[in-house]
Amino acid sequence: MKVVPSRSSEWVRPVTSQRPASTIIEIDRVSQVFQTSARKDHLALSDISLTIEEGAFVSILGPSGCGKSTLLYIVGGFVSPTTGAAKMKGQAITGPGPDRGPVFQEFALFPWKTVLGNVMYGPRQQGVRANEAEVQSRALIEMVGLKGYENFYPKELSGGMKQRVALARTLAYHPEVLLMDEPFGALDAHTRTRLQNDLLNIWERDRKTVLFVTHSVDEAVFLSDKVVMMSKSPGRIREVIEIDLPRPRRRNELLLDPRYQKCVVDIERMFDESDKVGSPS
Amino acid sequence: MISAAALTRRAAPVLACAALLAVWQIASLALKSDSFPTALEAIRTIPDILGDQESLINILASLRRMAIGFGIAVLVSIPLGLLMGRSRAVAAFFNPLLMVIYPVPKAALMPIIMLWLGVGDITKTLVIFLGVSLPVIYHSFEGAKAVEEKMLWSGAAMGLSPLQRLARIVLPAALPEILTGCRTGLVLALITMITSEMIARQSGAGNILFNALDMGQYDTVYAMIIIVGAMGICLDAAFERIRARLVRWSEPQFDMPLSFS
Ligand SMILES: Nc1ncnc2c1ncn2[C@@H]1O[C@H](COP(=O)(O)OP(=O)(O)O)[C@@H](O)[C@H]1O
Ligand SMILES: [Mg+2]
Repeated sequence: MKVVPSRSSEWVRPVTSQRPASTIIEIDRVSQVFQTSARKDHLALSDISLTIEEGAFVSILGPSGCGKSTLLYIVGGFVSPTTGAAKMKGQAITGPGPDRGPVFQEFALFPWKTVLGNVMYGPRQQGVRANEAEVQSRALIEMVGLKGYENFYPKELSGGMKQRVALARTLAYHPEVLLMDEPFGALDAHTRTRLQNDLLNIWERDRKTVLFVTHSVDEAVFLSDKVVMMSKSPGRIREVIEIDLPRPRRRNELLLDPRYQKCVVDIERMFDESDKVGSPS
Repeated sequence: MISAAALTRRAAPVLACAALLAVWQIASLALKSDSFPTALEAIRTIPDILGDQESLINILASLRRMAIGFGIAVLVSIPLGLLMGRSRAVAAFFNPLLMVIYPVPKAALMPIIMLWLGVGDITKTLVIFLGVSLPVIYHSFEGAKAVEEKMLWSGAAMGLSPLQRLARIVLPAALPEILTGCRTGLVLALITMITSEMIARQSGAGNILFNALDMGQYDTVYAMIIIVGAMGICLDAAFERIRARLVRWSEPQFDMPLSFS
């Protein structure tokens, strides 16, 4: 995927083959406290440290309320952590930026724009000329499987189609990292598996770094190189698991693969154990 | 081909008007009062009023004040309402102020305004401005508050500054709500326009109406009521067309084809 050079340094940087092990995101002892009432504080994230390598597909997996979204928002720069810091390529994250593209469970499309208008929005904002942005956007719309829907408004689309538009809209401005917060959580099971497959296909083409939040164990295992398991109250990292399943992954093959099944069962067992040992309330 | 349902929908306002005039005609014939002309007599007077140059100038002057008052109110109120909806500090400052102004009939402020600014155009335009502002501010405020935060975050990630987000995300996203406020504001503009001319009797459609009343020209009184009412209906219908066009992208919502004020 083409990267629009926005800083002069990108012109001079030599074209090197991507080193697989270079860190792109670093989360350094991040804690997040929310004031729930005048006197009560809620520790949503406690001392989270995590590094994410360039080109990796990393899932954050945990029960609802364990702070997955909050962690993602901190990386996105939408929320600033109470203590600690998140860094992108060594630079402290102080706010949102086009290098980190979010995809939300709620789609958050611009309802007054057509599909094409939504996808073109980012490139146009970045100063790409209208006709060039349109050509790129049409190609992306085709890539996410929505050819023919360019002039539809979001309200005319199903949930799955909306999320495809949201993905295309984010890919359109070439973020280096995709931040996906339970993107398929609002979809029915069938649509969900189709989008998982399509997301993997798209990802396997250009291996963009993805930080993917989910509470579904098989979704995490199916998609990821690495699964970060979180536990609740306070939100902590329990375990980081490498998923060494071969790529490209095909869902129908993987479901029959004993290694996949073992991964899923192992992770589920770990969550069960922590539930038993966890607070008696 | 026009479906039966569409035909009924289009014919309904016309039928309602016709029914109203019929009831009026019958009631007037039955009562036989000097101060209650029949609908036909009133309608026959309309060309006389509109043919009279002075009356026409008066009515056009009214419309001009209304347009200016409405226009300035919308231009000021939409940004203010949007800012209030997105900034807690701005809302905290203006909310109490508006809460005090809200229940006061704007026409009741006229004597004071007249003392300061006289009985001319400025006073009347200012009263129209006040009448239109509040519903537009309120609806812009509510619309801006309801804008989904993730939509703004998506914009921020694309590199939109806070001001760009207000103009290019909050404004369009809140547009359906804003236009609802503007529609109420338009009707209020007409009401405050007539009221202001009743109080500061110098020119305008309201002035013609009350002069005629003073002189016992009841045909003219009723004809003026029809003219003003027709102006309201036409303005509202025209605005509704524009509104429907601008927010076609938003969810369809139930709406009366015309609002009678
Ligand atoms: N803005 C906020 N104000 C107060 N509490 C919050 C806020 N955002 C999240 N929380 C709380 O922090 C915890 C973690 O939330 P979240 O990150 O949304 O979890 P998850 O995405 O894993 O379900 C929850 O208990 C939630 O109620
Ligand atoms: Mg969440």
